[in-house]
Amino acid sequence: MIATHALAAAGGNSPSIPAPHIEYGQLSPMLVVFGAALVGILAEAFLPRRLRAATQLGISLAGLVGGFVAVVVLAAQGHASTRAGLLAMGSVAIDGPALFLQGVILLTAVLAVLTYAEGRLEPRINGHRIDAFAAQAAAVPGGEQEREATREGLRTTEIYPLTLFAVGGMLLFPASNDLLTMFVALEVLSLPLYLMCAIARRRRLLSQEAAVKYFLLGAFASAFFLFGTALLYGYAGSLRLGEIADVVSGVAPVTPALAVTTQNDALLLIGLAMVSVGLLFKVGAVPFHSWTPDVYQGAPTPVTGFMAAATKTAAFGALLRLFYVAFPGIRWDWRPVMWGVAILTMVVGSILAVTQQDVKRLLAYSSIAHAGFILTGLIATDRRGVAAVLFYLLAYSFVTLGAFAVVTLVRDSKGEATHLSSWAGLGRRSPLLAAVFALFLLAFAGIPLTSGFTGKFAVFQAAAGGGAAPLVIVGVLSSAIAAFFYIRVIVLMFFSDPQPSGPAVAVPSALTATTIAFGVLVTLGLGLLPQYFLDLATKASIFIR
Amino acid sequence: MNAYAPILVLGAIAAAFAVGSVVMASLTGPKRYNRAKLEAYECGIEPTPQPVGGGRFPIKYYLTAMLFIVFDIEIVFLYPWAVSFDALGIFGLVEMLLFIATVFVAYAYVWRRGGLEWD
Amino acid sequence: MHLAAAYDTLAFFGRDPWWLVLLKAVFCFAFLVLTVLIAIVWERKVVAWMQLRIGPNRHGPWGLLQSLADGVKLALKEDLVVKGADKAVYILAPIVAAIPAFMSFAVIPFGPAGNEVSIFGTRTPLQLTDLPIALLYILATASVGIYGIVLAGWSSGSTYPLLGGIRSSAQMISYEIAMGLSFAAVFIYSGSMSTSEIVASQQPTWFAVLLPVSFIVYIVAMVGETNRAPFDLPEAEGELVGGFNTEYSSLKFAMFMLAEYVNMVTVSAVASTLFLGGWRAPWPISTFWEGANHGWWPMLWIVLKIQLLLFFFIWLRGTLPRLRYDQFMKLGWKVLIPVSLVWLVMVSAVRALRNEGYDFTKVLLYVGAPLAAVLLVALIADVVRKKPEEPPAAAPPAAFDPMAGGYPVPPLPGQELPPVPRRRRRTPQLQDALNGADHSEGS
Repeated sequence: MIATHALAAAGGNSPSIPAPHIEYGQLSPMLVVFGAALVGILAEAFLPRRLRAATQLGISLAGLVGGFVAVVVLAAQGHASTRAGLLAMGSVAIDGPALFLQGVILLTAVLAVLTYAEGRLEPRINGHRIDAFAAQAAAVPGGEQEREATREGLRTTEIYPLTLFAVGGMLLFPASNDLLTMFVALEVLSLPLYLMCAIARRRRLLSQEAAVKYFLLGAFASAFFLFGTALLYGYAGSLRLGEIADVVSGVAPVTPALAVTTQNDALLLIGLAMVSVGLLFKVGAVPFHSWTPDVYQGAPTPVTGFMAAATKTAAFGALLRLFYVAFPGIRWDWRPVMWGVAILTMVVGSILAVTQQDVKRLLAYSSIAHAGFILTGLIATDRRGVAAVLFYLLAYSFVTLGAFAVVTLVRDSKGEATHLSSWAGLGRRSPLLAAVFALFLLAFAGIPLTSGFTGKFAVFQAAAGGGAAPLVIVGVLSSAIAAFFYIRVIVLMFFSDPQPSGPAVAVPSALTATTIAFGVLVTLGLGLLPQYFLDLATKASIFIR
Repeated sequence: MNAYAPILVLGAIAAAFAVGSVVMASLTGPKRYNRAKLEAYECGIEPTPQPVGGGRFPIKYYLTAMLFIVFDIEIVFLYPWAVSFDALGIFGLVEMLLFIATVFVAYAYVWRRGGLEWD
Repeated sequence: MHLAAAYDTLAFFGRDPWWLVLLKAVFCFAFLVLTVLIAIVWERKVVAWMQLRIGPNRHGPWGLLQSLADGVKLALKEDLVVKGADKAVYILAPIVAAIPAFMSFAVIPFGPAGNEVSIFGTRTPLQLTDLPIALLYILATASVGIYGIVLAGWSSGSTYPLLGGIRSSAQMISYEIAMGLSFAAVFIYSGSMSTSEIVASQQPTWFAVLLPVSFIVYIVAMVGETNRAPFDLPEAEGELVGGFNTEYSSLKFAMFMLAEYVNMVTVSAVASTLFLGGWRAPWPISTFWEGANHGWWPMLWIVLKIQLLLFFFIWLRGTLPRLRYDQFMKLGWKVLIPVSLVWLVMVSAVRALRNEGYDFTKVLLYVGAPLAAVLLVALIADVVRKKPEEPPAAAPPAAFDPMAGGYPVPPLPGQELPPVPRRRRRTPQLQDALNGADHSEGS
């Protein structure tokens, strides 16, 4: 009775719910991208078919470039350093790492969207230009409806708004300052990705299988994340990363009502473990990596490039923020585990890559190995570690994007020729393309004068400085293993005879060419003159709490 | 008593009535076995061995169900906003207008793509 | 304005002694069952009058005991469980349908929230209970009720019930959205989800007058929700032989019927509570008679309102033909939802602007101008839009072949049967007599 009365009193006369305050200006990168996504959907709904593809490309580029401009303006205004702050009632943090990663994500997304629009690779059907995406994603593969849709030259232009939504989620992911916002961002970035994996034009069953695998495992990982969030809330009585950190380090006064759970380290450790599982799944760290090769192989290659570059960037951003803002107080508990994960990831990724016969799978395992290298930077737990990870992500994103863009160009009658054997002798037929791909592979391997070397050097240096020298040794060894298979592909391309019925190299339009050129430029630029960007990453390496 | 307890009391009365009726029906009614009586009813013709498509039904219904979830979630978000509308002032109005506009975009897309058609 | 006063009403609930709770609960239950029994006879009588028939007149005076007799008859019928049924679910389904139907009624106010009446010396409000989230509770129980129908259709292991069941669930969820949206506008004005406070906040004006569009949307949605004519597609006798309850007999069948009618009473009560002033006396009475809204009198008004709405249901059934399923879904998804969303936006905009102190003309301008603009754009778009072209003139119909599909088919209007080769008649005079008839009918 009394309880009800209190409930009535509490639920009742509540004149002063403080109206929240939203800093639209500082959230503008995300708002611009989401707005562009909505406009894209409206365009999809109301424009006639023939105008859609071009309009969608325009809208996406406008949104992404607009978002990037907003990021640059914010950084120029000092929101990355002196004016960094918590926004939207403390649920979003705009600070150096957030803005740096948002910039990287937006740039990679711009280049990825350019590869989406590539219409020169597939042969025309009845005079219609077609792209890498299914004619009609809902049609049964191989069915009558699909054949009809293909004949009419339909295209799934929804891929653009989907990408924009995913990008919006990715922008929010490394900037989210409480676990619930982080979860929402995780879902917003994941759900469009699951769909995008399913709409390859060629090999549709493989593509759909990839999407289902990704979806099931991803949903499972999200559930882990959410469960961990609940446990951490039980432990700290708050979802804000900063407040959790205060409770962890014992600074915050213990609320009497929460005294029992706040003392309970089991809640903390299990919660942290589960939240980490959710994030490690997204970055593709061993033992949560098993989706990576299948999904990378099945998804349409432009989407794979986007996913490999941008998702990894966003997820590592969130991982950094989680460990550096909320849990620096128990680093002695999580560091050993992350050591293990990093070592496993590097070793397993590198060794399994050696056995791969498919270029896309090879790149997938290489991305797993790279996740391991980036994790070594994370384990450093100091500012240099953050800077190294930021730089590594910048370097890696463009190399990956470029490499997958090259993969889209090597084609035979069945579409992309991804089997390694068909890449034999590519250097003799198309020296330029093979040279570009070789450059990307060398960057993956971390050969000096490429961005990969600078990045690896930075993370290993940070890790060694942070007292993780054994990790560095493992890293260098697995880099050597990895270098072996990268070099093997280069040897295959340049020093073996081309197959008589081998693939042809398609001539791309300016769109894909731009992406590849930009990839080359960044790879060489960050390798030859890294200092400016290293400084930028160092300047951006302070998390706000 | 708690304000929720009366609901349970009413529920218990209703449950007693419903279960009692169903049990009673099996006691009061006659039982005359007839094989044809226990077949599925299909207007007197031989019943199909199992329902249409083995109990599966058109995918349109799934579409309706998913759209329902989308809009129902929207409504669930609207309720707390509506209840505390006066306290939130113009801020609440603007934010909710943005939210409704966002859902409306999805709605327009579904409409134009024929998701709301039942031929 | 009235909010501060209204917010205290919840404090009156949850304080009754156990026997009073039991008494009120039994009253609610009995009220529902009796109302249903009366409503069924009433419906048959009214429909009969509308169709110039007499209606039931055998059992009791003027046939008043007809529904009781029906109930007894159903209890004496064989309780079948068909062979293909999933037995446990099949038996559970009618129970699942019936219980929530009754439970929604727990939060309906029969009188003002305040210790106005005395029952055996205990002063208490005329309402079983109230919650801060009463309307959410009503929506929840209504949704659970859908399970009964879906499970009944699915567990029967038969085609017609399956189709009826999924039709019904699709229908109910489609109309639940419009219903929920119409509630939201009410909450903006009442500032609460509790039924007693919603009635209390209808002090000078009923919400049916303040929020006419919400009211109309709710009325349409409530008919859809209860599967009543003209929206009675789940049980469409002509197509589905009764729909989800085809395989049910005896009292299990009666449970579904009961649940349907109880749901009618409940949605009528909700409509009265939300839009028609609940227990308040209708307008002219309240002006000259202060006592009409106090003591036991409010009960009379709400029962009257419920009965009027029930009559409205019956009237609809006697008047309107059943909709086609696509028309029905179109109404729900393409008319009710956008209309109620736009209406909600307008209501909230007007309310917010007035709270901020803008005067009426400005409010009208700010809210009316965008609406007018949208309507104008829609009009222009409609004029400019390419109209679907007239179908090309139908080709001259091909000669009708009744055996085209492998079995004989009767001709459609406009088609003609080819002359049938006939055996020569045996008796010449009979043939002569029939010749004229043959001519006029043959070609």
